[in-house]
Amino acid sequence: MTGRWRALWRLFAVQGAWNYERMLGIGMGYAAEPMLEDLKSADPARHAEAAVRSAEFFNSHPYLAGLALGAVVRAEYDGLPGAQILRLRTALCSPLGALGDRFFWAGLVPACVGLALVFLTAGFIGPALAGLLILYNGIRVGTAVWGLATGLRSGSKVGAAIGRSWLPRAAEAIGPVAGLTMGIAIPLVAGWYLRGAGVQIAGVLGLAALGVWLSWRFGNVATSPRFGLVTIVVGLLLAWGLH
Amino acid sequence: MGVPAADFLLVLLWGTLAGMDLVSVPQMLISRPIVAGTVAGWLLGDLEGGARIGVLLELFALDVLPVGASRYPDYGPAAVGAAALVAGQPWDRLLAPAAALGLGMAIVGGWTLLWLRHANARSLQERTAALAAGEAGAFRALQYAGLFRDGVRSLLLTAVALLLALAARHLPFAAQPGFILAGRIAIAAGLAAAVGGALRNAGRDVRLRWLGIGAAVGMLWLLAT
Repeated sequence: MTGRWRALWRLFAVQGAWNYERMLGIGMGYAAEPMLEDLKSADPARHAEAAVRSAEFFNSHPYLAGLALGAVVRAEYDGLPGAQILRLRTALCSPLGALGDRFFWAGLVPACVGLALVFLTAGFIGPALAGLLILYNGIRVGTAVWGLATGLRSGSKVGAAIGRSWLPRAAEAIGPVAGLTMGIAIPLVAGWYLRGAGVQIAGVLGLAALGVWLSWRFGNVATSPRFGLVTIVVGLLLAWGLH
Repeated sequence: MGVPAADFLLVLLWGTLAGMDLVSVPQMLISRPIVAGTVAGWLLGDLEGGARIGVLLELFALDVLPVGASRYPDYGPAAVGAAALVAGQPWDRLLAPAAALGLGMAIVGGWTLLWLRHANARSLQERTAALAAGEAGAFRALQYAGLFRDGVRSLLLTAVALLLALAARHLPFAAQPGFILAGRIAIAAGLAAAVGGALRNAGRDVRLRWLGIGAAVGMLWLLAT
């Protein structure tokens, strides 16, 4: 099968045409196209059906879409019935979404950002950012390569392959790491901003505690950007009044 | 108080990339405010100022999981605009106005993502027949149109943020010590967002314990330095 690397490249833009009807579907169809090329000469009718199926509704974490893409393309080459392939796609949506959200968004992002904040507040701004981008994207790109290869190797048995892989264990393990790094980073960030603020530190911490309580109690309305914007505008008006 | 045209174009390009990174391509974390804001500050000759506003907006962004179909703020172009307001000025006095600009633009950016998703859906409906026939050209056209739309969205968002920042640079924030207090209020709001997000993410399992251990280590580290 040719076109694997082109497909991998295209997976980096799998959300390029994200919409509420097919979600990642069009991006998946676009990424599948190079890998389905060989099917065109072998079985043109099958290729046309496979191309239609490849762009149907699909939703998952974008970084793990390669697992589904590889599995579905392999299933097309294996000649599985179309209905079974569509069921495979649908069955992969929720697990890949949940696993990816847990590992990347709720785990790896705060873990890496927390680590970067620790270095940045110590004065290493450039190395902190470079480290953040290299570490995160090393794992992100590695996962994309692994995902596509695993999907292509496993076909319709991709669910079992994911279950046996490093991913569920990593999703489990990254949570405490994210908690630890964020826990270390937040006081250091506070110190980085408030060094020399004197008695105002107590006021800042009190206001922060109020904000945490508000977001806990009224999280749907008092979202962090809204609470932040309102609080800051009040602060600006106060400062303007003092002036 | 202005920004040279070449620098403006450079940060405009950077903000556009940061905007596209959030959803479309390549999703490599450059849309995070800590990256977008700090790099924008560096491009404008003020790495420290960019980092100060980038980290503050990052505290807010840490509270948000950019999950699937939910609407979330777009902090990339917003952080670039906020960094342009701070660059070359005393960051402690500019922190609050820059944070207000950044948060406001991030919320607007979230609304524009809704527009983008609906525009992509309309475009898809126009090509239903071609998609049903499995025409590869239709996938490509939809994909490129979606990327182009997001590029335009990110460009316009960054341009508005930068123009607002340039206008705000003429206001006398830097000359007034009172704005240091406003900056500290902004820091408090940012800390509240980060702590709230960390607690929500931690839930009640082992991660909460590690968050607590981390906080203790962080405070001891802070006291020791």
